[in-house]
Amino acid sequence: MLIFIFFTIGYLIYSRIMAYSLAPTMKPADFHGLSIWEIPVAYLIDYFSHGWICLLFAFVAAGLVYVFVPKEVITKYMGGSKVTGYGLALGMAPFLTVCSCTMVPLFAGVLYTGAGIGPAMAFLLMAPASNILSILLTGEIISWELAGVRIIASATVALTAGIVISRTPWGKAIEKEHQQSGSTAQTAIEIVKPPLDERLWESLKFAGSLGKQILPYFLLGLVAVSYVEAYLPEDIVGTYLTGVTGILIASIIGGPLYTPTLVEIVLGKGMWDLGMSKGALLSWLMGQPYDVANALAVSRIVRWKVVLTYMVIAWAGSVIFGLTYGMLSGSL
Amino acid sequence: MNDLSEIHVEVVGVEPPCKKCQATLKNVEEVASELKTSGCNIRVSKLNMASKDVIAKYGVLVSPSLVVNGVVKIVGRVPDKKEVERILRATTK
Repeated sequence: MLIFIFFTIGYLIYSRIMAYSLAPTMKPADFHGLSIWEIPVAYLIDYFSHGWICLLFAFVAAGLVYVFVPKEVITKYMGGSKVTGYGLALGMAPFLTVCSCTMVPLFAGVLYTGAGIGPAMAFLLMAPASNILSILLTGEIISWELAGVRIIASATVALTAGIVISRTPWGKAIEKEHQQSGSTAQTAIEIVKPPLDERLWESLKFAGSLGKQILPYFLLGLVAVSYVEAYLPEDIVGTYLTGVTGILIASIIGGPLYTPTLVEIVLGKGMWDLGMSKGALLSWLMGQPYDVANALAVSRIVRWKVVLTYMVIAWAGSVIFGLTYGMLSGSL
Repeated sequence: MNDLSEIHVEVVGVEPPCKKCQATLKNVEEVASELKTSGCNIRVSKLNMASKDVIAKYGVLVSPSLVVNGVVKIVGRVPDKKEVERILRATTK
């Protein structure tokens, strides 16, 4: 069993490295001759005939990461010094939130252990932007450069928001509410570690379930993108999605719009093909943490003042980073 | 296995329970009822990981987590029935 699994994973990694350029090859112009029904089909065929290995790799990698990262680290070390708190929040967030249902409860959890509102906010903002699956998919679908930049930008914004909020009077009030009087007794933890082949198999199973969960939305997203690529005139993209205007527009639409990460990445790729600038693209993608649904859920735990504060910080962050990245990469 | 002791198993997850929490709970309940026929008394409860009492007791857990007799055994993954049974049998040694 073990050998089989090692072989499968090894083969996937090997094929991923070998098949380096597997992006879809159709350009927007190619779509102009097709009828309305043919467009999504053509796009999907083009995409999957090249991209299936990348997708497979992303899901398997996410599965492996999810199973092998020791999640009890958060339980053991959160609640120590503030620095540990921030470090853990930023460091573990990407690995903990592959299943999106846990994001807000984990945020509540960090807050209630008395770790402070700063680390809790840092976690909340880092999680949706940098969870391992969306980073891998950003890398596969758009570019690895963007994926890397995304991590750095999200970490900075998350850390800043955490620190700023923990200094505001309304943030401090919430922290006081949850201060643990005396330290919590050390949780008794004896994590059971199953044998390696079981864990590898579990990773593959998890990858499969992720795939099942995500693929329907992914396909919908691709269909939407195929229409965008076919019908959105390139000059509109040129005028509105590049330069400072582009960044502002992208950050404003990309934020509150409640789209699954995957769809945002795919739409972003579509717009990029049409000429969107790198800066605007980053702003678009960084809009993840401040969508309306997220805000509503969080507002039940900390009051609206805090929610609005972080939304403003996250938006400002996406604009600043969009501008910086745009200027540095020459694609403003 | 000690027939006189009671094992308290707590499944800690989000409220309302997501698929993983439900799967864990189902596995635990099925193993519990199977073991009951051999005389073990197993009490199963579902806790909310974001509730203040749970956090005061166990700290931050990632859903789904499994706690047996107050000791955290699994954090953040779904154990299959075989594993749940292994853990429960080991508890009362």
